[in-house]
Amino acid sequence: MSTVMKTTRDVKGIGLSIPRPDGPDKVTGQVQYVADLNPRGLLHAKLLRSPYAHAKIVRIDVSRAKALPGVRAVITAADIPQLKKKAPTLAIAEEALALIDVQYEVLPVAADPLESMKPGAPPVAELGTEADTSEALAHGSVAGVSTEAKPSKAVNISQQARLQRGDVAKAFAESDVVIENTYRVPMVHQGYLEPHAVLAQWDSSGNLTLWASTQGSFNTRSEVADVLELSENNIKVIPMECGGGFGGKIRALCEPITAVLAKATNRPVRYVMTRREELEAGMPAPQVIIKMKTGAKRDGTLMAIEAEAILESGAYSGAVLAVAGVFLASLYLFPNFDVKGFEVLTHKPSIAAYRAPVAPQTIFAIDSQMEQMAKKLGVDPVEFRLRHLQREGDKMANNQPWLSNGGVEVLTRLAEHPIWKKRAEWKASSKDGKLRGTGISLGGWLGGLQPTGATVRLNPDGTLQVMTGQVDIAGTNIALAQIAATAYGVDIDKVKITTGDTDVAPMTGLSAGSKTTYTVGVAVIQAAEIARKQTLEIAAKELEASVHDLEIEDGRVVVRGVPDKGITLASIGKKGNLYMSKVEPVLGASHPAFSVQAPAFCAQLARIEVDPDTGEVTLHNFVVAQDVGKAINPAQIEGQMQGGAVQSLGMALTEALLYDDKARLTNPSLLDYRKLTSADLPNIETIIVEKPAPHGPFGARGVGEPPIVPAPAAIANAIEDATGVRLTHLPLSPERIALAIASA
Amino acid sequence: MAKQVLNCTVNDELAEVLVQPWDTLLDALRERMGLTGPKEGCGTGDCGACTVHLDGKPVASCLLLAMQVRGRNVRTIEGLGKPGALHPVQDAFVRHGVPQCGFCIPGVIMAAAALLTENPHPTEEEIRYGIAGNLCRCTGYTKMLTAITEAAGATAGRRS
Repeated sequence: MSTVMKTTRDVKGIGLSIPRPDGPDKVTGQVQYVADLNPRGLLHAKLLRSPYAHAKIVRIDVSRAKALPGVRAVITAADIPQLKKKAPTLAIAEEALALIDVQYEVLPVAADPLESMKPGAPPVAELGTEADTSEALAHGSVAGVSTEAKPSKAVNISQQARLQRGDVAKAFAESDVVIENTYRVPMVHQGYLEPHAVLAQWDSSGNLTLWASTQGSFNTRSEVADVLELSENNIKVIPMECGGGFGGKIRALCEPITAVLAKATNRPVRYVMTRREELEAGMPAPQVIIKMKTGAKRDGTLMAIEAEAILESGAYSGAVLAVAGVFLASLYLFPNFDVKGFEVLTHKPSIAAYRAPVAPQTIFAIDSQMEQMAKKLGVDPVEFRLRHLQREGDKMANNQPWLSNGGVEVLTRLAEHPIWKKRAEWKASSKDGKLRGTGISLGGWLGGLQPTGATVRLNPDGTLQVMTGQVDIAGTNIALAQIAATAYGVDIDKVKITTGDTDVAPMTGLSAGSKTTYTVGVAVIQAAEIARKQTLEIAAKELEASVHDLEIEDGRVVVRGVPDKGITLASIGKKGNLYMSKVEPVLGASHPAFSVQAPAFCAQLARIEVDPDTGEVTLHNFVVAQDVGKAINPAQIEGQMQGGAVQSLGMALTEALLYDDKARLTNPSLLDYRKLTSADLPNIETIIVEKPAPHGPFGARGVGEPPIVPAPAAIANAIEDATGVRLTHLPLSPERIALAIASA
Repeated sequence: MAKQVLNCTVNDELAEVLVQPWDTLLDALRERMGLTGPKEGCGTGDCGACTVHLDGKPVASCLLLAMQVRGRNVRTIEGLGKPGALHPVQDAFVRHGVPQCGFCIPGVIMAAAALLTENPHPTEEEIRYGIAGNLCRCTGYTKMLTAITEAAGATAGRRS
C-alpha cells in the first residue's frame, strides 16, 4: 500500500520547455540595451579612427574640433598616459571628428599572414609584447602543449606550439593512402546584431559606473581597472541586455576610452559603435590556414598526421593556438602525429573568440581529410569516422584523457537519419542540370571552466530569489531558475532569477566557453540545497519533527505520511523577516570552482543541390544532432542548436572579412559582409541526445558552442558528393564552386 | 540649419517634435520621442532591426529622413501590441521562445505583422522572403518561421 505523494522530484523544473521570462518585454520593445539609455545630461562619444592599417601619428591638432560649439572634450593619447593597449549631441561629435587634423607617416603593412611570418616583415607588435593566452584559459585547459622559441628575425610570430607522438616519417612511408591539402578559413565577424556600446558615469567620490553590453561584467570591470589603473572596488559594471556576443563581447573594447571622456566632461557619456566600426575595428575570429597531410593503410588503419596551423591574430596576440593543435590531432586516433602551430601578427584588427574559437576551422580541415580518406579507401565515411573516433579514456594529443562524451552517439543518430540513408537516391534524383549531394560531419568542444557563485533566498511569500552575476546571453537564466526549482522543491513559477551588477552579485566568470549552465548550474544546485536544508531545519523545529521525515510539497513543508502536519514556505519566509523573530532567514550560498570539463559533440547533416553553372548551393535540409547531457530546457537548447548551425553555415557559405594588400577592409557593411537570411535556409531540424555529464548539473553539459563547428566540413563533403569537386577554402562561395567545377 | 517641427501620427497619437534636418526617422523616434523599440543595427538599411510601419508598410526607419514622414502615420513595435494584448505575432514569438538576445526581434515582428496584413495566408516561402530583410544572428530563423506560420493561422481565424 502506498499513498502517491508529490515529491520534490515532481516539481515543474528541469526538462520543461519554458519560455524565457523576458519574452514579453522583448517582443514589445521594452527591453533596454545600452543604446536605449538616455540619462539627463547625456553626451555622445565618437572615435576618429586611422585610415591606415599601419602608420605613425606625427601630429594631431584638435583645436578646431574643440572650438566647435557643443563639443565638451576632445582627448588624444596624450590625455591618457596610463592607457595601455586599446584606446565625443552625436551629430556634433561626428562633425568634430572632421575637424581633428592628423598628420600620418604611412608605414609598410603586413597584410598576409604567410608573408608576415617571414624574417624582414614589417613588425606589428611593440617590442616586449607578450603572448596572450588568457583566451585559451577561459575556454578550457590545454595542458601538455610544448612551446618553442621562434625562428630568429621572424618578428611577427607571437606564439608557437608543437604536439608530437611517434615517428611520422616512417608512418607515412608505410601508408598506402596519403592526402595532402591546405585549408583556409578567412577572418569572420561574430555578427551580433547589437554593436558594442557603453555608457559611463562618475560620481563625486571618484566611483565609475559602466552600463555595458558584455559577456562578463566582472571581466569588464577587471580590464577597465587594469587599463585605467583604478581599484576594481571603484568600478561598478551593470550588465545590460546583451544583444549578442558570441565571444566578441568578452574583452573590454570601448569602455576605457568612454570612461575617460566621462571623467573629462563630468557628464554621462555614451559610446555606440557603428556597424562600419564593428566590421573594421571589432574583434573578429582569426584567419586560419592549415596545411595538413594524413596517411592510412589500405585496410583503413590510420597512420599519421602532419599539420601546420597558422592563426592570423591581427595586431595583438590572443589566439587559442594550443586548442587548435589539440583539436587537429586528438579527435581521431592517429598513432603518429606532428602538429605545429604559429600565431602570426598582421596589421589587422586584434582578434577575439568566436563561438568555439578555432574549432570550426580545425574541424573543417580534419573532417575533410577523414572524408577524402574514406572515399579513397572505398569505405563508409561514417563507419570510418566511428572506427577511429577517440573514446573516453583515450589520450588526446596533449596526453590528457578524453572525458565522457557523446561523439559516437550523435554521429550514429545522424547515420540513422533518412536523409543520410537515402543519400544515393538523392544524388540519383539530380535533374534540370543541377547536382544533388549529401554531407555529414562531426565536431565538438572541450567545454570551459571558471569559478562562480550563486545565492538562493526564500522570500516572505514562499517564493525563491536566485541571484548570480552571470550575464544571460543564451537563455541560461531560465535554465538556472529551473535548476533551482528542482533542487529546492518548488515549481518554476515560484522562482525569480536576477543577474546582479558587480557591486552586489557573487563574483562569476564569463558567459563563454559553453560553461554557464554547466558551472553556474552547479552553484545554483548547491545554493538551493543549502536553502532547502535550512528550510527543513526551521520546519523541523516548528513542527517538532525530525528533518529526515520532512518533505517539501506544493509550497509546504510536510511530515511524510502525515499530510495535515505542515508549515507553508511563506510562513517560514515571513518568520525570517519579522521584527524580534528568532528564525534565521533562509539564504543558501555557494561558490564552487571546477576541475572537470565536459566535452560536447555535435554532428550535422546537409542535403544540398548545386547549380554547376552558377555555383549556387541550395540547402534542402539541415539536421543537427547534439549531446547536451541533460536537456534542462529543450526549447532553449533547440534555439542554440539552430542559431549555432546557421552561424556555422554562414562561415561555410558566405562570410569573410575581405582585406586589400594595405590591410584595409573592403566589405565594411552588412550588404557586403554577407550573413545568411531566412530566404537562404531551410528549417533546421534538431535531435537532442542526452549522455549525462558526470559532474554537470543533473547531467547537463555545455550547449552553446558545439553547433557552430561541423557545417563547413558537412557542406564541403556534400559539394564533393554532388559535384566530385573538393573545396578547401572558405567560404564555399558560388564563384569558387563554379570555377572549381569548370576547371575540374 | 535650424531645427524643424515634425508633425505626424505615431502609434495612433499625434506627435509634434523638433528634429534636425539630417535626423533620420529612427533618430527622431529613438532620441526625440523615447521610442527605443526600433533598433539601429547598421544604419544602412541592411539589417532590418529599425523596421517600422509607415502608412502600414514596413520601412527601414534608418533610411528615411524624419521630415519625410510629415503628416504620415508611423507605427513602432511599442504601438503594435501591449503585454496582455499582444499582436498574434508577438504572442506566438513568446510562446515559441523565439527571442534570444532580442535585438532583431522588434524589426522582425514589424516585418512579419506587415506581411500578414497584406497576405493573411502566406506560404512558407512567402514568410521566408517576408522577413529576409531582417538579419538575426541567434535563432537561425526556424522558430520564427514556426511562430509566424502559427500567427498567420491565428490572424486568419480571428477574421473569419
